[in-house]
Amino acid sequence: MEATAGTGRTEAMLRLEGVHKSFGDLHVLRGIDFEVTRGSVVCILGPSGSGKSTLFRCVNLLAPPERGRILLEGKEISAARGEDLDFVRRRVGMVFQQFNLFPHKTALENVTIGPTTVLNMDPSEARKNATELLQRVGLDDKLGEYPERLSGGQQQRVAIARALAMDPQVMLFDEVTSALDPELVKEVLDVMRELAAEGMTMIVVTHEIGFARDVADRVVFMDEGVIVEDGRPADVLDNPREERTKQFLGLVLEH
Amino acid sequence: MDFILEYYFDFSILSDVDGWSRILDGFWITLKLSILSGILALTWGLILAMLRQLPGKAFAPVRFLTIAYIDIFRGIPLLLVLFLVSGSLLAFQSEGIIPTALGLPRFLGESEGFWWGVISLTLTYGAYMAEVYRAGIEAVPEGQSEAARSVGMSHRQAMRHIIVPQAVRKVIPPLLNDFIALMKDTSLVSVLATLEVVQVGRDIQSETFNGTGLVLGALLFLAVTIPLARWIDYMIRREQRKTQRGGAPAKPPTGLAGA
Repeated sequence: MEATAGTGRTEAMLRLEGVHKSFGDLHVLRGIDFEVTRGSVVCILGPSGSGKSTLFRCVNLLAPPERGRILLEGKEISAARGEDLDFVRRRVGMVFQQFNLFPHKTALENVTIGPTTVLNMDPSEARKNATELLQRVGLDDKLGEYPERLSGGQQQRVAIARALAMDPQVMLFDEVTSALDPELVKEVLDVMRELAAEGMTMIVVTHEIGFARDVADRVVFMDEGVIVEDGRPADVLDNPREERTKQFLGLVLEH
Repeated sequence: MDFILEYYFDFSILSDVDGWSRILDGFWITLKLSILSGILALTWGLILAMLRQLPGKAFAPVRFLTIAYIDIFRGIPLLLVLFLVSGSLLAFQSEGIIPTALGLPRFLGESEGFWWGVISLTLTYGAYMAEVYRAGIEAVPEGQSEAARSVGMSHRQAMRHIIVPQAVRKVIPPLLNDFIALMKDTSLVSVLATLEVVQVGRDIQSETFNGTGLVLGALLFLAVTIPLARWIDYMIRREQRKTQRGGAPAKPPTGLAGA
């Protein structure tokens, strides 16, 4: 169901309140407060080990938080169990750094397997949707190929189509270009730009400063499990207030 | 030297005691025992491996029992299992725990010894194969189950559609190795008065004071196991070539993921 009138277009699609997460003695997230409005694109920057990937694993509940609340469309999801859990994961699409395509399935099957098994979609309808999605990411000539025969950039675009096939409300991109050869980065970023232009709510962990500057509505800088700075791209990237942000940007922009 | 040749390779002696057809009949029983037990053990092993992977606190007792079962049946001799299994039904029936009306298993015209053999081989080799499957399941990268769960699959769906198909492909060679071992162990079922090929060879040996029947049995075993072994080697080599080529054209670096 769509949100009722009044809560309107600026409602929080996703909201985190005081989220903490530890792995054993390692306190990875130390109180994250964070909000994403519907249709906006938020880029998260930060050094490796700052908790970005863990934040994503909290949001789609692969690693549920110990403390704090996560709200999706105003509904608390952090306490979800069993079938609710699967419901949440369906509404939150995720694309991984290492693609994680299913190697024993073709490009087309990678995209249809979610809808047919999880949503019980009719196979021919699922194939039709998947073909359209693969067309959108420019791979309609690769439907029958297995992942090992695709380049990294092509694999990552299939992975994006696979996530979109579940018709998610939010898409999470976890350093999706970091494992790619440099000449393959653009084709993936182009797909993401297009998605953003179509109004998809996106959270993007990335080191691609150019992409963040062009596409993001907001840029968040994370370090050591906390949000250090959060604002418009121009502010955070060009006039960072915090010393840690300046240092990090200095390192990233140097090369 | 002549004596050795005569003792092991005097195939003419077989004709005198109807040896050829007796050995072939025996080997047919060996084959049926192997294939039936092999299929059942493959299935039972997969079930055990899945039970062992059930997530969460609620299934802890199931996991514990499964591990205990596997440890026990991997740790005791098959011969002992055969005696335990074959003796138990009669004992239970005489105590009235299992109704006598159910009778002894004599399905499909096979002897009871045959069916005790199938049950024992399945119980024991199911445990071995469960461990092989487990190794395969653990060899599927964690990212696969994360990807499956992130499109909303439940644990069961992820296992069935994503993890197990990949795991099984990885462990076909070791499973076939276990099948070869199982096939050889069918000879133990001879202790339950089953006329499989080794028992028939022994009978002929004591009738003729000649080992050629047993040699023929050995040749029949090799006719199955050597091609299987070659095939396994071929599959392993093919898999190695595939991974050495790098698999995917753009192989992602590992160890870059942030915490």
